[in-house]
Amino acid sequence: MSRDLPVNLEINGAAVALEVPLTETLLATLRERLQLTGAKRGCNQGVCGACTVTLDGVAVRACLSLTLNCEGQKVATIEGVAADPLIEALQQAFVDGGALQCGFCTPGQLIAARALLSQNSDPSVEEVQQGLSGNLCRCTGYRKIIDAVLSAARSMRK
Amino acid sequence: MSVDQGVFRPASVDEAVSVLARLPDARLISGGATLVAMINARLIEPAALVSLAGVDELHGITENPDGGWRIGAMTRHRDVAAERRFTGTLALVQQAASLIANATVRNMGTIGGAIAHADPGLDYPPALVAADAQIEIASGKGRRRLPASEFFVDWYATALQSAELVTAVHLRAASDGVGLYHKLARVSGDYATVSVALTMSSGVAGIATRAAMGACGPTPILLEEANALLSGSPGESELNRAGELLAAAADPVDDVRGSAEYRRLLIPRMLARAFTEARAAIGART
Repeated sequence: MSRDLPVNLEINGAAVALEVPLTETLLATLRERLQLTGAKRGCNQGVCGACTVTLDGVAVRACLSLTLNCEGQKVATIEGVAADPLIEALQQAFVDGGALQCGFCTPGQLIAARALLSQNSDPSVEEVQQGLSGNLCRCTGYRKIIDAVLSAARSMRK
Repeated sequence: MSVDQGVFRPASVDEAVSVLARLPDARLISGGATLVAMINARLIEPAALVSLAGVDELHGITENPDGGWRIGAMTRHRDVAAERRFTGTLALVQQAASLIANATVRNMGTIGGAIAHADPGLDYPPALVAADAQIEIASGKGRRRLPASEFFVDWYATALQSAELVTAVHLRAASDGVGLYHKLARVSGDYATVSVALTMSSGVAGIATRAAMGACGPTPILLEEANALLSGSPGESELNRAGELLAAAADPVDDVRGSAEYRRLLIPRMLARAFTEARAAIGART
């Protein structure tokens, strides 16, 4: 089990060749090998959403992804999507609306909200609640996060 | 087969089966949503992984010539949740998929991975039992099919034998009727506290109903006696009696989602709500 195995990924646009143990998660690889600490380790069970990243453009849990099972895939973390117009709009709306306190869940909230808005540019409150239901926040009570996502959607439609 | 030391990447079902036969401690990985959570919780430590991503026949939903459907085992919850061709009595399969966890997990998890795990709180088991789905299983001896009601055998236990894997779920052609999946959960995205899956169609002999309860025992609960009570021209007493029978057959646990007593109380109420909604929908069409 201690033997490391080779894997090739593209992370935030750069080709990365690594050797990792069989059961290392993508989250551990990102945080501990590559110092990409935007994705957070919360529950490590796929419940809290703090580790959300994209894999070939689709939002996934980094804690439920094994690095060796991502061979050849494109990973994007919050660090790699800073210039994305949707992320920029969401970040501004979160700042303007005070949609965070401690900030631990925010990278995951942003990636999940981006996935929602990229499929639905004019979501209802209920659709935002459903779209973000896999991302827990223990500070805000969610109201400000929902308002911020709706605000970002409005700004993108202008 | 390309062999990546401890990670096997078979290109066919036969190759995957031969790896499992040779390495009994290897674990199949599809979406990872279940397997990796168990690894993280230190419940299992696989010696090798068999990635099913490269097995083409496991991906996607195809219509059979008879109007039935084959859902490949690697089909993600997201894709079943978006499947608008599951109409009439089959709508409950799409509804169940759309209520699994949350959008991000639905991007990862697969129907084969979910049912092979057989957590009683999952959404697919009662839906597939109510839909009378067949589970296609591959081994070194070929393929076999089991009704969903025989596939789920106990808590986290299925009829899968060593070196077998789920290859597909087969649905019979939809009847012109109603399929419903109702889930009671503490919050959106949680496992069901209790769920009910129900199909109803109408014919010359009145209605035909098939109901399965989820999350209130080791396997989905479907009783032919209850279905008979709910078919024909059932009234309130038949509906109440069916609810009592299902509650009596339940073997729920006490856990954070509710006590066993609470779950037994919910069973007849959730059955009645789903039955009434289905009957109203049938009535509106005829």
